[in-house]
Amino acid sequence: MSCRKKANASPLTNFEVLDFLRSRGAAKDPTRVIVSVAPSEVKVFDYLEQSVACNQTRESVAEFLKKSEKYKLVKAEILNIINIRPSSVVDIDPLIDDCEGRLGESIEELVELVAEVFPAPAQLQADEGANEDGEEIPDGKQVDTS
Amino acid sequence: MFCLSLIEHTLRLPPHLLDLPLHVAIRGELEALFLDKVIANLGLCVSVYDIQEIGKGFIFPGDGASTYTVLFRLIMFRPFVGEVIAAKLKESDANGLRLSLGFFEDIYVPVHLMPNPSHLKADPVNSWVWEYEGQSFPIDGTDEIRFQVQSIKYPSIPVEEEKPASPSSVEQGKQPNPSSVEKAKPPNRLPVEQEKQSNMKEKQSKPFAPMVITGSLDATGEDDPKGLAPFHGGSLFVHILVCSSSLKQAIRVTASEIWELLFTWP
Repeated sequence: MSCRKKANASPLTNFEVLDFLRSRGAAKDPTRVIVSVAPSEVKVFDYLEQSVACNQTRESVAEFLKKSEKYKLVKAEILNIINIRPSSVVDIDPLIDDCEGRLGESIEELVELVAEVFPAPAQLQADEGANEDGEEIPDGKQVDTS
Repeated sequence: MFCLSLIEHTLRLPPHLLDLPLHVAIRGELEALFLDKVIANLGLCVSVYDIQEIGKGFIFPGDGASTYTVLFRLIMFRPFVGEVIAAKLKESDANGLRLSLGFFEDIYVPVHLMPNPSHLKADPVNSWVWEYEGQSFPIDGTDEIRFQVQSIKYPSIPVEEEKPASPSSVEQGKQPNPSSVEKAKPPNRLPVEQEKQSNMKEKQSKPFAPMVITGSLDATGEDDPKGLAPFHGGSLFVHILVCSSSLKQAIRVTASEIWELLFTWP
């Protein structure tokens, strides 16, 4: 018997999912024989590891959230920007509703902010990023069942 | 793209798991139950995020196992409508494109949501070519394609097709690989509609997909007064707003799809 208490408890960024999978040990074993993660989780991990989320950190996401406050973006737009990391005005335009009208000239500024806060992903930096990230899961409370 | 879902579930813990700590055993059971499955209207389950509460175990009379009510959170793959996602091309034919995320492959871009103008090139294989300001860009497997989520559907499991399909796939799986027997859907799963993604892929002919995302690649030049280049950094990127020109093409499509277009009218 299964019942949904809350279908949308909270949205996650790609980075958070990647961080969670890393903390489960998805990155540690390159041979993928001993790891405790399921094959389906490894597929998700592979996708995220190749995405721009691979070298984001908890700090950089928090910094972006703080600095993007003044643009008055809605949550879904911020989520999309973090997941896609738009590197030009063309890239950012479809992510934001009525981009011209709301942001006007400051759109260039926002693109620069994205480029500044999130460094460009390089395949080499992926391994480095895995080591930097903390092992803890955000408010992932494991219940003490004793 | 991903979100957490809080779910309460009552599960029977088989006695052979008694030697494990309770939350480890329950986590294992939940993973076996939910991982890589689509729950209708909730999305594809990626992982068990955490277990928040485990109720007191109850033993039903005559049952050699305890039953727990567990409150837990799952990481679900459920994009929201309007989200932009980077994907790779999987297939292309006259009906449009099929995109893949690696772990999820049922993303379709129908013809009326293709970049406008674009045309199908039938030689040597069906591939789409996007025309932009006199230049043509073939849409092939090399570039990353960013699409906007237009709608997400959870088709119900076809009852009549289920019976002939599942025994044969179990039968095939038995000989070469014992693990694929495990993949076949046991009859006493959850009441919610779910199906293994991996099981789907084994069926070659028009597989049933429990979750289908319709994506849009619609580029309209009118939205682009600056005439900005659509290609950037080697990635295929398109402006995506349902506008008048796409509606003209959409007249051919079904009434429900037109309704969708009107519904998402900017």
